[in-house]
This record gives sequence, C-alpha cells and structure tokens, in this order.
Amino acid sequence: MVNYATAAVDKASVMRGLVSTKRVPLGSEIYNRILETLYDEAAALDERRFDDWVAYLETDLVYTAPLRLTRNGPNKDRDVVRTMKHFDETYGSMLMRTGRLAKSAWAEDPPSRTRRFVTNVRVGESETAGEYEVVSYLYLERSRMDNPENERLSAERRDIWRLVDGAYKLARREIILDQSTLGMSNLAVFL
Amino acid sequence: MLHNAGLTLSDGTTLNDLINRDMNEVSLRVMNDKELYEFEMERIFARTWLLLGHESEIPKAGDYVMRDMAEDNVIVSRDRAGDVHVMLNVCPHRGMKVCTAEAGNAHAHRCIYHGWAFRADGSFIGAPIEKEQMHGNKRSKEELGLKKARVHLYGGLIFATWNEELSFEDYLGDAKFYLDQLFCRTDSGLEMLGPPQRFMLPCNWKIPGEQSGSDGFHTLTLHRSLMEGGIMGGTAESIYDTAPGMYGVDLSVPQGHTLRCLEAAQTFKMFADVSFEGKSTEERLNLLPPPGITKDLIPQLFKNLSEDQVNQLATIPPQVGGMFPNILVAFIFAPRADGGASGALSLHTYVPKGPDKVEFVNFIFAEKDAPEEVKRDMLQNAIWNTGTSGTIEQDDADTWPQIMRNSRGHMSKSITLKYQALHGHERPEGWVGGGDLYPGFTKDDTQWAWWMAYYNLMAES
Repeated sequence: MVNYATAAVDKASVMRGLVSTKRVPLGSEIYNRILETLYDEAAALDERRFDDWVAYLETDLVYTAPLRLTRNGPNKDRDVVRTMKHFDETYGSMLMRTGRLAKSAWAEDPPSRTRRFVTNVRVGESETAGEYEVVSYLYLERSRMDNPENERLSAERRDIWRLVDGAYKLARREIILDQSTLGMSNLAVFL
Repeated sequence: MLHNAGLTLSDGTTLNDLINRDMNEVSLRVMNDKELYEFEMERIFARTWLLLGHESEIPKAGDYVMRDMAEDNVIVSRDRAGDVHVMLNVCPHRGMKVCTAEAGNAHAHRCIYHGWAFRADGSFIGAPIEKEQMHGNKRSKEELGLKKARVHLYGGLIFATWNEELSFEDYLGDAKFYLDQLFCRTDSGLEMLGPPQRFMLPCNWKIPGEQSGSDGFHTLTLHRSLMEGGIMGGTAESIYDTAPGMYGVDLSVPQGHTLRCLEAAQTFKMFADVSFEGKSTEERLNLLPPPGITKDLIPQLFKNLSEDQVNQLATIPPQVGGMFPNILVAFIFAPRADGGASGALSLHTYVPKGPDKVEFVNFIFAEKDAPEEVKRDMLQNAIWNTGTSGTIEQDDADTWPQIMRNSRGHMSKSITLKYQALHGHERPEGWVGGGDLYPGFTKDDTQWAWWMAYYNLMAES
C-alpha cells in the first residue's frame, strides 16, 4: 500500500490533521465504509434522531472542542488551546445532553434546522488494530426560527472510529473550530 | 464634578420616560436605541470599573492578554516589576492595533505598521531610525505612551476604569462583605483554568445585563430542564409546588451589585436528606463545602475570612448574582452522577459591541490550591452548565435575541418591562452584612436595584 503520509507529522506539537502515517486510501473498502458512516452520522443529527446518533458513540467516548486563540510570532501556529474547551464530553454527558433535548430544552425547542456538510475526509490506520484515525472538515448551516439569516460554523474534526461487530463507532472526537469568538449564539447542536 | 442633569434623547424622550420609577417599569425601547447606547458608552462603560480577567492568566513578566472595555480594545499586561497594566491597544501614531494576538509574552509591543514600540507598562520606547526622530518634535516621548486605564486587583480579578476618581472601594460598596466569600477565601485564591470562551449574541448588552441583576425567578421556567433532570431536586411535576432554589435572601447595594444567597440546609436537602440542625459552622462546612471548596481547603476559609463571613458561607452562601454593569457571578453547586467534585465557578462579562450585539465572555475558575482532579471536574462542570455549550445557558442565549427582535417593533418598543413583584428591604434576624436585603421568595427587587444603578449613572453628566 502506498504511504500517503501527510504534512501533519512534523507539526505534531500543533496537533492538527492526520497524525497516522499509514494512510487508508480514498476509494478503499475501509475508507468507503467510514465515509458512509460519517454521512449517516450527519444525517442522524440533521434529522434529530438522537437515539440513532448515540448508538454511534462508544462508552469510553472522549468528545472535546478546544478553544482557538489568535497568536503571533513564533507561536502563531500553536493556536489550539486544549486547557479550555467548548465541549468536554463523555458518553455519560452525551446521554445527559441528548436526554435534555427530549424535555424542556428551549434552545432547541422549537428546533433549529441544520445541515452538516462533511468533506475533505482523510483516514489513517491507528496503532490499535480496528481503530482508524479520521480527519474531516465540517461545515454547519443552522436556521433558527423564522430568522432568514443562518448561523454557521466551520471546523476540522479529528476522530477515532472503532470497528465493533462490523460497524464503526466513535471513540474520540476533537472539534477544532475556526473562530476564536464564536458567531453562533450557542452550541446546543452537536458537531 | 458630576451633576445630575438627566438625559434627553434627540426626539425629546427623557430618562424618566424610559425608566418609570413610580411604576417600576422600563421601556423595551432601551434595548434598541443607538443614541442611548452612545450615552451608555460615555456614562457607564467609560466611568465605572470593568472586569477584564484574572492575574493567573498573566503570571510572568511580559505576559499579556487582549481584552475589551466595551468597544475599546485593550492590552492587559504584566511588567518586569510584576505590576499589571491596562492600556488602549491603539497606536498613538496612526491608530493601528499595537498588539495583534489574543495572548502572549512580549516585553515590548511593536506596531507592525510603522514600528512605534511600547513597553509592557504602555510607555513609549521610540520609533525606528532613532536619529530621524520619527515621533516628531512636538510631543515628548512621555506624552506618546499608550493611553492607560486605572487598574485594581481584587481577589486576583483584574478590574480597570477610565474614571480618574472612582475608588474601587466605592464601586464595590457593601457588596465586598459577600464577594470576599467567593473571591478572597483561600490562601492562593482563584485560578483561571484557561482563556475565556467567547461568543457573540445578537442582542443589546442590557438584556443579559439586567438578568445578571439576580433574576432568580426565570430559573423555574427557562431552566425547567434542570428540575426535569433532577439536578435541583424534585421532579418536573413538583416544580411549582416546591419551587426549588427560589427561597433565600436576595440582596443589592446602591452600586447595582446583587447576589442571591441560598440556604445551605435547603441545598443540602436537595442532594442528601441530612439535617443541618445543631451543627457548628465547621461541621456544616464539612457536610456541604461551598461550591469549589474541598474539605482540605476549609481551614483556609477561617484564616482568610472574618468569623461572620465564614458563618454566612456555611449557612447561606452567596451563589449567583452580578456586579454592575455587565458581570454575572455563578459560583454554583453542580452535582454529578459520577460523584465527581461538585461545583462550577464561572464569571461572565457581557461586553457591548454595538446597540444590537453583545460578546459573552465566560471565565472559568477553580481554587488554585484545589487538587488537579478537582480542577478537572470543575472545568467540566462549568462547560456542561455555562457558556457556549452549557445546558443552562444555551437557553438564555436563545431567549435574549428574541427579546431583541421584539425591541425593533414600532409598537413593541413602547411595551414596558415590569419589575413590580417587590418584597422591599427587610433585614433577617441576625444578618450581619450590609446592603438592601430581600428574604423569602426571589422577586424583582434586585433587578430593579440594577436599573436604579443604571438610572443614576445615566442621569449624571
């Protein structure tokens, strides 16, 4: 197999993009299945099928969204701040959050209409067999009430998907948002 | 000297038209008026003390963060002597930002436009090509430093003001007795756990601002999911019978700071059915340490606070409230299903960015002397409950822009906001601290006190 090592390796301290040097090539069976899973996951969220979405989550899930910080000079690329986060989630907290959405969660009742665009998917083998490093770009358009102006958000997602009983499950997700000051009024939606 | 000249907008509307002190009503128009906003910038935000951050963010000489005092961008930096300075991030040469990063370390800030350079204390070093004296000959170097604000550190919190006269003590007033219990209670004080979460809301700053004046009542309905989730005790069906978290002592001071003090015994009953009856202050603190305090830190409370302050912290601690004009204080219990450390310590500032925009800045803290695993839990608690994704404040952030939208309607803006459920000042027996006190069910008194502080500052020119 061709080694499609990415430029992310020598910037490992910055921790962006794909770290794995064992590329799973575009069009391969594994790549296709993972891409399909990402599309299905996005559809579950856009269609507000939260039980279906939770079924994708592993019980050892770590789901975070670190802060971005504008920096300059020698530190200009070290702009992902992992001490502070917008999300700092576990499987349990995701059950809490999705459970709340079924009750009086006014931030999503009436619900937003959302559209998640998942692109630029890169897959690499991780050191653990059956686990794949998956980097994708996410673009979210969110229509709130009858406001004709959408709120939107763009991000990179650094995931670990694990093959469990023939299906891919999400074990890790780090969402690297592009804004240091978010233009979205809240993150009552999952990314 | 300031004098009470009132305020009249160009269409003849006066402050008394907008804020009806006899009826305790405020016109919705105040939330959407460009002219009024300009008065607010001059009479409130350029005149009172504003919270910018915490000194734990800039521990070393040269460390700085970029913050905003309303729409004025400032550099908050520590100099070689260890002093904290706040200065406009505006080059006196051509108006460019002298500092372009949100945080960093620099002993000199050199403007990228023409190279004028400034020390961490804001003083002017010089312009490039020294022999050509590119700063001219009309002003001395001493005159060409960055415009400085006055700085005061309170419990490590960095406050700044453009006002040359107002002392921090006068700004704080009788709120100090209570706020010390939150900010100044341990040997090493608070630590900010990382840079603040920042996000924009399409609404006027006063919509979150007036809520920070200790609006307890909205919790029952807007934050109903707290009760449904069992976090505050009871069930969804019993919300209006038991009204959890509604009874306590609310308080305000004329400066507009307000707090809600909730009985620890009641809070404790929500979590575990154990009585506080006949227990000493120390026993009570050990049964239910205040949010953010671990049992190991309890001896420090006695050392850093007066006996009266510790007593209050053990029996009826201040938990939520605000500092005028735009600070929300949430030092709350946050019970966790996994038994992790209970408590979230957050401060917010609602920074005006135009009449119809506000930046929500969420600062998250823990006690510096708390163990790492406690800090870890508390960070998570704060993220789960407050700020960008917090399940409590998601609902606030979705509500405020809808109020804003209503304030645009020609008919709607003449609707008045009602603050008529008033208790009036009543000092509970044995109460030690100052201020106006409103024991019992949380009412509109504190929010009205917030509006009176607003009125008083806006009426002075």
